[in-house]
Amino acid sequence: MSRKQDKLAQQVLGDRKLNKKSLGARMWNCRGYYLMFLPVFIFVLIIYYWPMLGIRYAFFSYKLRDIHWVGFENFKTLFSTSEFWRAFVNTLQLSITKLLLNTFAAVLVSVFINEMANLLMKKTVQTVIYLPHFMSYAVVAAIFTLFLSPSSTGFVNETLKSWGLIDRSIDFLHNKGMWRPIFYLINMWKETGWGTVIFLATLSGINPELYEAADIDGATRLQKVRYITFPALGNTIIVVLILNLAKVLNMFEPVFVLYNSRVYEVSDVISTYIYRKTFLTAIPDYGYSTAVGLFKSVVGATLMLLCNEASKKVRGRGIM
Amino acid sequence: MAEAKEKKLQKKSGVHMFDVVLYIVFIIICLIVIIPMWKVVVDSFNALGVYQFRFWPENPTFNGYLTIFNTHKLYRPFMNSVITTIIGTFIGLALATLGGYVLNQYDMPGRNIFSMFLMITMVFTGGMIPEYLVMKQLGLVNSMWILVVKHGINVYNLVLMKNFFEGIPASLIEAAKIDGCSPMGIFFKIVLPLSKAALASIGLMFAVTIWNDYSTVQIYIQDPDQVNFQYMLRVMIMDGDTPTSPYKNVSQETLYYAAIVCAILPFMAAYPFLQKYFVKGVNVGAVKE
Repeated sequence: MSRKQDKLAQQVLGDRKLNKKSLGARMWNCRGYYLMFLPVFIFVLIIYYWPMLGIRYAFFSYKLRDIHWVGFENFKTLFSTSEFWRAFVNTLQLSITKLLLNTFAAVLVSVFINEMANLLMKKTVQTVIYLPHFMSYAVVAAIFTLFLSPSSTGFVNETLKSWGLIDRSIDFLHNKGMWRPIFYLINMWKETGWGTVIFLATLSGINPELYEAADIDGATRLQKVRYITFPALGNTIIVVLILNLAKVLNMFEPVFVLYNSRVYEVSDVISTYIYRKTFLTAIPDYGYSTAVGLFKSVVGATLMLLCNEASKKVRGRGIM
Repeated sequence: MAEAKEKKLQKKSGVHMFDVVLYIVFIIICLIVIIPMWKVVVDSFNALGVYQFRFWPENPTFNGYLTIFNTHKLYRPFMNSVITTIIGTFIGLALATLGGYVLNQYDMPGRNIFSMFLMITMVFTGGMIPEYLVMKQLGLVNSMWILVVKHGINVYNLVLMKNFFEGIPASLIEAAKIDGCSPMGIFFKIVLPLSKAALASIGLMFAVTIWNDYSTVQIYIQDPDQVNFQYMLRVMIMDGDTPTSPYKNVSQETLYYAAIVCAILPFMAAYPFLQKYFVKGVNVGAVKE
C-alpha cells in the first residue's frame, strides 16, 4: 500500500520535473490553444494596441499633412485653455451627479420591489423598468427632444400650458438653467431600472431569519427596512460606486445626444470637446486633440487603478 | 396559537397602510416608464401630430412605417443596422468564447501574459483620435464595417465568458482529454454545447451594443449609404433632415415616432421572451464570488 503511494508520488514528482525542464514541449502541447487565441490576439492588437502608438502625436503638431515635433507645447496650450478646464469640471460634475442620482434611485426602487409581496406585481414592475436600458441614447434623446420641444406638438410644454402652469413654451434643452436637471432626469429614466438588478440580487441573499427575528422582537415594517434591508445594501452600494467611478471620464454619448451650442457652458465634457476640436474644426490639429485624449486616458487609468485597489479592499477582488 | 400571534404582529406593524403605499408607488413607477413609450407607439400610428397623450391613435395609419420601408434614405440604414448587428454579434461571440476558453487553461505556458495583454486594454486606451487615425489607415472610415471591427472584440464580455467556463466541471474536460480529444475538439464538442445560456446572454449583450451604437457612426461615417439606423434617426429628428414621404396623410411627427419604434422594435419584440437572458448577462460575471 505505502509502496504504491510512494510510487505514485514519485511519478507525480517526476512528471513535474519533466514539465519544468521542457517548456518547449509544454508549449507544443498547447499549440491548439495558441492557435485559438490568435484571432483574439490580432483583433486586440489592431483595435487597442495599434492606437497606443498614435499617442506620440500628443507631442507633435499634426495639421493636414504637416507633422512636426513640438514637445510639450500641446499640453501647455491645453492647461491654459479655459474651455478645456470647463469641460474637465463639467465631466466630473455631470458624471458623478448622474452616478449618485442613478444609484440612489436604484436603491430606493429595489427596496420597494423587495418589499412587494405580490409576486406577479413584482415581476411586472421588473420587466417594465428594465426596458429603457435597452434603448440607445440616440433613441432616448430623440423621444425626449420631441416631448420637450417648444413647438405646438411638444407634449410637456403644451400639457403644462393647458394646465395653466406656464404661459409661454420653454425650450428646455436650449436653456442653460434647465439642461442639467433634464439631463439627470432622462438618465434616471433610462438607467434606474437596470441599476436595480444588482441590488435585488443582494437583497434576495439576505437571510430571512433576520426578518423573522425582527418580527419576534416586534419590529414594524419600516423598522425592518431601516435596520435590515438598507444596511445589507451598504457593501453593494460601495461596490457599484467604485466600479462606476473608474469610468467617470468616459462619458460621451449621453451628453452628445442631448447637448447643443447654446448650452456648451453647462454641458460640454472632455470627450465632446475632443470631438468638436477634431471633427467640427476646419483644419483640426490632431496633435492637440490627441494630447487632450492622453490627459483623459492617464487620469482615467489612475482612477481605474485606484478604484481597483479600493475594490480589492472592499470585496476582496479587483474590478478586472 | 402561533398563527394568531403572527397575525397580531402583522397588524401591529401596519401592513395595510404600507401595502397601499407600495402599490401606489409601483403604479407610479410603471407609468413613468410606460407613458413615454406608449405615446411614441400611439403617435407612430397617428396621422396627425398631436401633443396630447392618447390611448389609441385618432387617425390610424401605417403610412409612417410604409414611408420608412419605401424611402431608400431610411431603409438602407435599417438594413445596415441589421447586417452589422448579425455579423458583429457572431464575430464578437466567436472571439469572446475563444479567448475565454484559452484564458481558462491554467497550465498553459504564457497564460498570465495573455491575461495581462487583455487586462491592460481595460485600463488604458489610445483615445478617440489615435483610434480614428488607425481606422483611417485600415480604410474603415466611412464604412459600416467599422461597427463590426470595433465591437467584435470586447474584453469585458470575454472575461464574463471565461468566468462562465470556469463553472464547467473539470472532470468532464479531463475525461475528454483522456479519450484523446484535442483542445479544439473539447471546445466545440463539450464546452460550447454546455454554454448555450451564456452564449445567449452574451450574444444579446453584443447585439444590443452594436444595434444601439450611435457615437461610432457619428465619429467615423458620413456616407449616407453606410450609416446605421440610430444615426439616421438622430439626423432626422435633431437636424430636421426629413425625407419627403411618398404617401399622403403622414405628418412629420408620425414619421419620427415610427422611426423611433423601428429603432427599438427588434429588442422590444424579443424582450418578453428572452428577458432571463437579457438580465443574466449582468449576473454571469457575479457567479464567481
